[in-house]
Amino acid sequence: MPCAVSIEHMYKKILAAVNEFTNSEIAARYAIALAKSCQARLSLIFVAENGIDMNTLRHAESALERLFVDAHSQGIEVESITENGDPFQEILAMVKKDHTDIVFVATRREDVTKRFFVKTLARDFMVRLPCSVAMVRVVRMGKTHPKNILVPFKGRMTNLEERAYFVAKLAQIFDSTVTLFHSPRPITSFFHGEIQLKPAQREKHIPKDVEEFMKYLDRYKIIHEKRIGHGSIARSITIEAAQKRNDLIIMGASERSLFRSIMSGNPVENVLRETPSNLIILRPHSVIDAQRNIKTIK
Amino acid sequence: MKIQNLSREEVLKSLVSSEQGLSEENARRRLQEYGLNEIKEVRKRPLYLKFLSQFTHFLAILLWIASALSLLSEYLHPGEGMLTLGIAIIAVIFINAIFTFIQEYRAEKALKALKRLLPFYVQVLRDGKEIEIHAIEVVPGDIIMLSEGDKIPADSRLIETVELKVNNAPLTGESELMLRNHEPFQGEFIESPNIVFAGTTVVSGSGKAIAFATGMTTEFGRIAHLTSAVEAGLSPLQREIVKATRLVATIAAVVGIFFFSLGFVIGRSFWDNFIFAIGITVALIPEGMLPTMTLSLAMGSQRMARRKALMKTLTSVETLGAVTVICTDKTGTLTQNKMAVTKIWSNNTIIDVQDLRKENVFELFKIVYLCNNTRVIDGQYKGDPTEVALLKVARETIGDFSADRIKEIPFDSERKRMTTINIIPPSPLYQRGARGDLLPLEKEGKGGLYAFTKGATEGLFPLCSHVLLNGGKVPLDESLRRNTIEAYHSLMDMGLRVLSFAYKEIGEMHDMRSEIETGMVFVGLIGLEDPPRPEVPEAIRKCSGAGIKVIMITGDGSRTAVAIAREIGLVIGTPVVIEGHEFDQMSDEELRGKLSGEKVIFARMTPKHKMRVVSILKEEGEIVAVTGDGVNDAPALKKADIGIAMGISGTDVAKEASDMILLDDNFATIVNAVEEGRTVYENIKKFITYIFASNIPEAVPYLTYILFRIPLPLTVIQILAVDLGTDMLPALALGAERPTPGVMNQPPRKLQERLLNFPLIVRSYLFLGPIESIACMFGFFYILYHGGWIWGTMLPPHDILYLQATTACLTAIIITQVGNVFACRSSRESILSIGLFSNKLIFGGILVEILLQLFIVYHPIGNKIFGTAPLSLNVWLILIPFSIGLLGAEELRKFYVRRKIMNHG
Repeated sequence: MPCAVSIEHMYKKILAAVNEFTNSEIAARYAIALAKSCQARLSLIFVAENGIDMNTLRHAESALERLFVDAHSQGIEVESITENGDPFQEILAMVKKDHTDIVFVATRREDVTKRFFVKTLARDFMVRLPCSVAMVRVVRMGKTHPKNILVPFKGRMTNLEERAYFVAKLAQIFDSTVTLFHSPRPITSFFHGEIQLKPAQREKHIPKDVEEFMKYLDRYKIIHEKRIGHGSIARSITIEAAQKRNDLIIMGASERSLFRSIMSGNPVENVLRETPSNLIILRPHSVIDAQRNIKTIK
Repeated sequence: MKIQNLSREEVLKSLVSSEQGLSEENARRRLQEYGLNEIKEVRKRPLYLKFLSQFTHFLAILLWIASALSLLSEYLHPGEGMLTLGIAIIAVIFINAIFTFIQEYRAEKALKALKRLLPFYVQVLRDGKEIEIHAIEVVPGDIIMLSEGDKIPADSRLIETVELKVNNAPLTGESELMLRNHEPFQGEFIESPNIVFAGTTVVSGSGKAIAFATGMTTEFGRIAHLTSAVEAGLSPLQREIVKATRLVATIAAVVGIFFFSLGFVIGRSFWDNFIFAIGITVALIPEGMLPTMTLSLAMGSQRMARRKALMKTLTSVETLGAVTVICTDKTGTLTQNKMAVTKIWSNNTIIDVQDLRKENVFELFKIVYLCNNTRVIDGQYKGDPTEVALLKVARETIGDFSADRIKEIPFDSERKRMTTINIIPPSPLYQRGARGDLLPLEKEGKGGLYAFTKGATEGLFPLCSHVLLNGGKVPLDESLRRNTIEAYHSLMDMGLRVLSFAYKEIGEMHDMRSEIETGMVFVGLIGLEDPPRPEVPEAIRKCSGAGIKVIMITGDGSRTAVAIAREIGLVIGTPVVIEGHEFDQMSDEELRGKLSGEKVIFARMTPKHKMRVVSILKEEGEIVAVTGDGVNDAPALKKADIGIAMGISGTDVAKEASDMILLDDNFATIVNAVEEGRTVYENIKKFITYIFASNIPEAVPYLTYILFRIPLPLTVIQILAVDLGTDMLPALALGAERPTPGVMNQPPRKLQERLLNFPLIVRSYLFLGPIESIACMFGFFYILYHGGWIWGTMLPPHDILYLQATTACLTAIIITQVGNVFACRSSRESILSIGLFSNKLIFGGILVEILLQLFIVYHPIGNKIFGTAPLSLNVWLILIPFSIGLLGAEELRKFYVRRKIMNHG
């Protein structure tokens, strides 16, 4: 488990899935940055599905080649792999074989249009890969070098150490500042409706984990600030990103069940749809471990 | 590396494109990935869901239950009139839903206005060929061909430019030409001269740019995102309505359940209890409150429109009355936006414009003339107001002057100056060989190539090495430097916008602007005045009396801003002045501290700063009104409780994003609208008192029915006849009461202050209501006893005596409500002091009320619907004294209240 590993060497093997779309190439650039920052080994993989046309293959392979040259020129230990078959199965096999620590994948159009990622490849990666997963949505090709990273923070944060490490390492390589953002759930009462809290009152609702997170950022000398929003969680995140011109949002993967998502919405999914900046949804490895443990106990 | 830092090759590599542009196939693939290059609304709750929610809130649910019970009882006991009641209650739900929806409805058209700023077609390079495509098909990596007049479709990095100038007004709010280039730039992305933004226009020149952001991810999309996503939240009135309806519905439900249970305890039948439960619920719910409030707000917005304030949402009418802070632009709102030159500093002297003599300012005005883009067409000046004012005074003083312009370095907000290079012809005096006073610059009239610069003193003065004194070039020493700065400060302290002028003789044409704009000769300063609007000082005084804080936000320098603020009475002591560059450095906490100052002025600000100011003020619990006219004002206009757009100078986007449009761009109009808003709130309280008072005589008959075993004195349909019929117009007339004299001499109402506050409930439920209850029960028993009724006898529902008795009960409510409407016209002042006839609508309302009652009492259809029977005249006459008595009792109460206030100072 990553928690058991020294934080300095959390990511030793990084894998980036590349396809014929440019956003996967842009997403892989984040993987290159992280690999450089962590001095990790990088594998770039393209899995050609059966019946793939030559054009697609050409696009994907040239992307793979550009990325390889880029990573190599930055002194990263990199390999480029092309496989045939089912993308998920091939990558799963690769992860198992290589003991990959984290996989970068790009979202596809369907991930943004389909609700709750039902039956999408992204969902398979997020739920079934036995390692950490960073799902990247690229909306601004020209802004992959973030000046400021927005990190939305929910009430209780799981895998704090890995999340902090991931953010800190990316911020370090890009020389970015980090904004930790928390949007507490609105307080309502029957007779008064929504009660508006002043900033000083809202300050009390900042989760304690934020302080912990900040300590990690301090360890890497990352300049950071904390901010509080209010109102709908997803909307306040996108407004903050638009207003402050954040170039990158890094947020945790949703831990809501499908039922809860249907009943009370899913902020992660909403941010994924409406993000004004590039977005990385990080699912740390031990989240899935924890979920599996719960199932085993049941 | 950031996009603005990269070389041409690196840009192409970074965006995975090439010199030939994208291939068609690649572009198609990218279109699939990144979507269309268009402005989209962020996902919001659909309108139909908003409408449906009006049927599912607590009050509506209570009414649904009441109607379901009525329909159930119709099924169990057909023919008792419960079907009509069930349908009537459903009608009440619909009426309330529709009127509340009308209050909240707002047409969201800001994004449509934004979309109009984007082009339809663009020229792009694909597969090495220049083709025209729909602008919405532009994808990241596309190479866009730019030429004069083109609108830019996407945020793009320039890779080739030929004297390319763009107008970034839609983004920056400043209509100025910006010269762009394609060189790598190490500064901030937003200030980079190698970036062009979607929605802006190419004014001249040409170039090639590679798109790196499209649609909602562009800077333009960012404004659209904020405009569409940012919500001001519920208005103070909407919040109060939620609280009031929940409170009333809870009281109705609790009373209903309590007496329903009590009925069982004292042995009433289930059926009696059932009728009672429905009746008491309907009686205690003020069904007419929401429709009356909506109509009253609509009338308020009509009155505001007559005062040149166009309201776009109904609840904003009242929100204006609650405003605690107004953030206002200076130019055009507080001032007239009519620039005029008033002072000139030349040859070490400040001269009034009336005292100008040609020989004193000839050199200065020559620069004014040449370094100016105003055109004179058929005697009409066309151009920027500042340049027009300068040219006018120059023409009037030195006459026409011409010299070929061979180059211009345009004004931009970073450099804050513009330079032209002109060929000055030899002076006629020189040609004549004479030397007089009219020395054309330093070459004694020989002519040549000259650079002329005008701009902000902070930027231009440091570029000067000499100063022109009495026609001679003198090196700038410490004393001259000090004199110039002192003159600059004293002009600014007069509230003038100050421009500096300098020139340089250049031997040959330079391309490097750094070489042109250096070692210049400082010639003088010109101070321009934008006079305040005459109504503004009075409006500012009113704001001060009304406890409203006014914050000035201007692009001018701090001294000019403070001087104007002093002139209009906004500032007396020392204000807190924050300049744009300080603002950027401040944390929210620091800014919060500064904003708590009594007088705050923001100088050298741009519209992008406004939203932060508004957000922080709102977080502090202020009700904020903000003015704006540009596209990038739109998010702040949406965020504020009241966004105010300028009707004359405002862009369509600002108008669509606002809650109110000032038809005359005048600050004084905002203050008039605030006065109207406060009056609307006062009037809402008046008619709520009126409406709530009638709920008691509607409820008391049910209590007597359940407690004293008498026939039901008032049916539910008759209650609805009052609440949704006879009460409506008099209540609306109360909504049209004129402002009370002291309305602008009191602080804004506190947000903690409830619409349904304790004094209002006591007055209507425990004072006015009981008097009306006595009248209605008197009328009921008067008929019964005169008809020979004996206590304890139950009458069949269609018995004529019973019908007449309930009719008398209903008539008593109507008659006492006539006295009540006069009583509710004020909470403290006597009806005689405010003028019995000062609101003529009251009489109209009463007339309609009585006509309706006559229809209910005497027309067969009215009798059939409302279960009534005709009454003799003497019943009316017997009931009238109750109305007079109510008014008299109110006058006595008001007298005691006034005396108590006087005694307590």
